Amino acid sequence: MIEARSLTKTYGSKTAVDGVDFTVKPGLVTGFLGPNGAGKSTTMRMIVGLDRPTAGSVTVNGAAYRDHASPLREVGVLLDAKAVHTGRTAEKHLRAMAATHGIGRGRVDEVIAMTGLESVARKRVGGFSLGMGQRLGIAAALLGDPATLILDEPVNGLDPEGVRWVRTLVRHLAAEGRTVLLSSHLMSEMAQTADHIIVLGRGRVVADASVAEIVAMSGAKSVRVRSAQMDRLLAALAAPDVSATPAADGSVLVTGSTAEDIGEAAARIGVAVHELTPVTGSLEDAYLSLTQDEVEYRSDAESVTEGAGR
Amino acid sequence: MTATTAIATSVPSARLTFAGILRSEWIKLTSLRSTVWSYALIVLLSIGFGLLMASTFNAGIDESGQPAELNATGARTITLMICTAGLMVGQLIAAVLGVLVMSGEYSTGMIKSTLAAVPKRLPVLCAKAIVLFVSTTLVGLVTVFLVFAVTAPVRIERGIDADLGDPALLLALIGGAVYLGLVAVFALGVGTVVRSSAGGIAVALGVMLVLPVLVQMLASVADWARAIMPALLSNAGQAMFAIPQPLPAGVDAGPGSPLPPVAATLVVLAWAVVALVLGAITLRRRDA
Repeated sequence: MIEARSLTKTYGSKTAVDGVDFTVKPGLVTGFLGPNGAGKSTTMRMIVGLDRPTAGSVTVNGAAYRDHASPLREVGVLLDAKAVHTGRTAEKHLRAMAATHGIGRGRVDEVIAMTGLESVARKRVGGFSLGMGQRLGIAAALLGDPATLILDEPVNGLDPEGVRWVRTLVRHLAAEGRTVLLSSHLMSEMAQTADHIIVLGRGRVVADASVAEIVAMSGAKSVRVRSAQMDRLLAALAAPDVSATPAADGSVLVTGSTAEDIGEAAARIGVAVHELTPVTGSLEDAYLSLTQDEVEYRSDAESVTEGAGR
Repeated sequence: MTATTAIATSVPSARLTFAGILRSEWIKLTSLRSTVWSYALIVLLSIGFGLLMASTFNAGIDESGQPAELNATGARTITLMICTAGLMVGQLIAAVLGVLVMSGEYSTGMIKSTLAAVPKRLPVLCAKAIVLFVSTTLVGLVTVFLVFAVTAPVRIERGIDADLGDPALLLALIGGAVYLGLVAVFALGVGTVVRSSAGGIAVALGVMLVLPVLVQMLASVADWARAIMPALLSNAGQAMFAIPQPLPAGVDAGPGSPLPPVAATLVVLAWAVVALVLGAITLRRRDA
């Protein structure tokens, strides 16, 4: 359980996190979404005490992270894959981390095996690929068998098999009753992994709801219709809030009506329908419509020039 | 990576302890090549300097034109110089190592992992200081006694013999080793404040090498500068491994003369503690 109350972080005149309130519940995978610079990483850093909040507070399992007797048992954190000294081997890194809590070598070997690092465990981290570094970061996060996991972009740089492994792992950990908070830019991945989504935009909570509710927020649903007598059917459907967009494959995307109404209308006028598919918005659509006003680094020509001058 | 994701071993008894943090810092220090190289360099350079000095030492010739013979006090002083010759360079290596112990964590991002495991932060600095002081001082002890042993044949052949049972010599050699350890701790404090390797090394070496030159230049025009000369880190450090020459009765040590060994040790200790306290304040207050 992670609880943030009026959590705020300012850097000089810039407000990175602006009074956010949220609760990350155990037993669920909570996805943390937001454009670059929305404050996701800063929030995660404040949860584990790396950054001090300017105002407000955040607790983990009822207490500030730094007040826990065994922090690694409470929270396993992957902040960025390269939070490791490049001159040390993966095994020595994990052993040094484990030693602080008196965690034995058996557990170190176990997380190495779990993350598939056996073959590179005795190599220096400086030579690791992004994916290997990511696996090492996850191994370190799992060391203390923590009740809460915070993973910032855990699938970044992983191969498809690794992506699936992370998905299975976090689902499994949540099913065991643990709290899992993860951020990712891969919307399809997030849609498959998360139960609950918190969307940040410019340091504020833009949405905090289940994945289904977030998708529903994306607004109008549409229905894909295919018929040999499309014109007759569309004439029968005509209404002020119904619109039809022809698609390249000959079907028509109808918004403002439901599959049921279209089917009934077709039956009434005796038109055969070849396809009638309700199309729900994707998480990506929902996310983009939620954050379209919140994007700080929009990729148009103007802001690119501005960014280069910084 | 396997699809098996079960967490087999639970670690219910795991608990953050200071002994654990000490162990962690020991693993960190000894698992980096820079540590091994730094310590090896201190030992090897000291042996090299010692042998060079022992084999080239010339006591001059006496009035009769014969090679001069050293008296016991002279032999002891020369022996001490030979055994501590490498510490002039060794102190710089120890300082670089001390800075890197902390700045290396910032430059690689390791500090985030470290502070996530020990969110109260100060125990990390404390454990680093203890581990660094103990291991550097041990390396210092190995160095001075190894140089004593390795140079023995050359020294004895040239009449430069001294007895390790002589308390003044023994204390001076130990003083040199302790100075090396304290310099490393001073540099650790600097590295914690500055955070960058280049900046930290510049500040630490600046204090040890440049500051004495500056104060020396001021000393010719300002009395206060002459008065603080002996309290500068490297000057006090040298006084830690020197055998003070007894002054003739009634003569007072003037301002600017080296401190006695005990006072010098306290001054070096103060440099280390002040740097460490400044490091502790910045570590606590700044975001990681």
